[in-house]
Amino acid sequence: MKKQLLIIPFILFLFILLTFFYLLAIERNPSELPSNLLDKKIPKFETESLLKNERFISSKEFGKEKILVNFFATWCQPCRVEHAYIKRFSKENGIRIIGINYKDNPKKAVEWLRGLGNPYSDVPVDKDGRIAIDWGVYGIPETFVINSNGIIKYRHIGPITKKIYKKINLLIKDIE
Amino acid sequence: MVKKKFIIVISICLVHFFSNNAQAVEPDEILNNQEQELRARDISKNIRCMVCQNQSIDESNAPLAKDLRILIREKIKDGKNNDEIYEFLTDRYGDFILLNPPFKLKTLVLWFFPFIFFGIGIFIIFFHNKKSKQD
Repeated sequence: MKKQLLIIPFILFLFILLTFFYLLAIERNPSELPSNLLDKKIPKFETESLLKNERFISSKEFGKEKILVNFFATWCQPCRVEHAYIKRFSKENGIRIIGINYKDNPKKAVEWLRGLGNPYSDVPVDKDGRIAIDWGVYGIPETFVINSNGIIKYRHIGPITKKIYKKINLLIKDIE
Repeated sequence: MVKKKFIIVISICLVHFFSNNAQAVEPDEILNNQEQELRARDISKNIRCMVCQNQSIDESNAPLAKDLRILIREKIKDGKNNDEIYEFLTDRYGDFILLNPPFKLKTLVLWFFPFIFFGIGIFIIFFHNKKSKQD
């Protein structure tokens, strides 16, 4: 009986080993964190618009249709890389995209959009990064999918890749 | 001789460990009110820099860490208490932004597992010793 008990540590060890192996094998990025704002209403904000002469008021824009929110800046290299996919969202999906210009030089941002093409329906300016803090953003580019009730359904940290593009595309069709 | 060197190395390590000199607070961030500044430093030491993830915002040079340090100081000046400031940050960034995990039902396992495993360990050693004495 007592001899049989000695097998317990081995079983435990095997269990721990399997758990670790599973965590290694599945595809995940441990430094990527879930958003605390998921399934919550978007944080309200009001700021100036980069391209329009009127102020951007979030309560006027959100809550009517699905919207993609993309935090970007001209100094952010991955933003340039993902820009092609952002344009594809607007072309192929027809979804409204709001690009929040994070701690950037407005002149450079206007030029950047002129050069690469502008997929954004509006570009609110986050001059001091406070809007981003309200959204829990910690590394741009970041992309949020908002449903027609103004609720955050998905958040992606980092540039949009082919795989993420497909994932978000499916999600957009899925949500209300 | 070797022993002497060893002691020197250990004491250098200890001095570094306890001095905790690493800080990134820039002069223009510091508040005039010393009491408020100390509170800000205290909070900053408990807030994780989300960019570097294993540093507090008090030690990190990341731009976001600087923004958060300034934000904390603004909140203090506005008369917010420490709990309100922590709440503001966890509402946006989740519990992960706290360097110490909070005591919650969700983190209970985290807090109690070490004790449980310690207990199991003691039990096994005791059990084993008793058995070998019998043999």
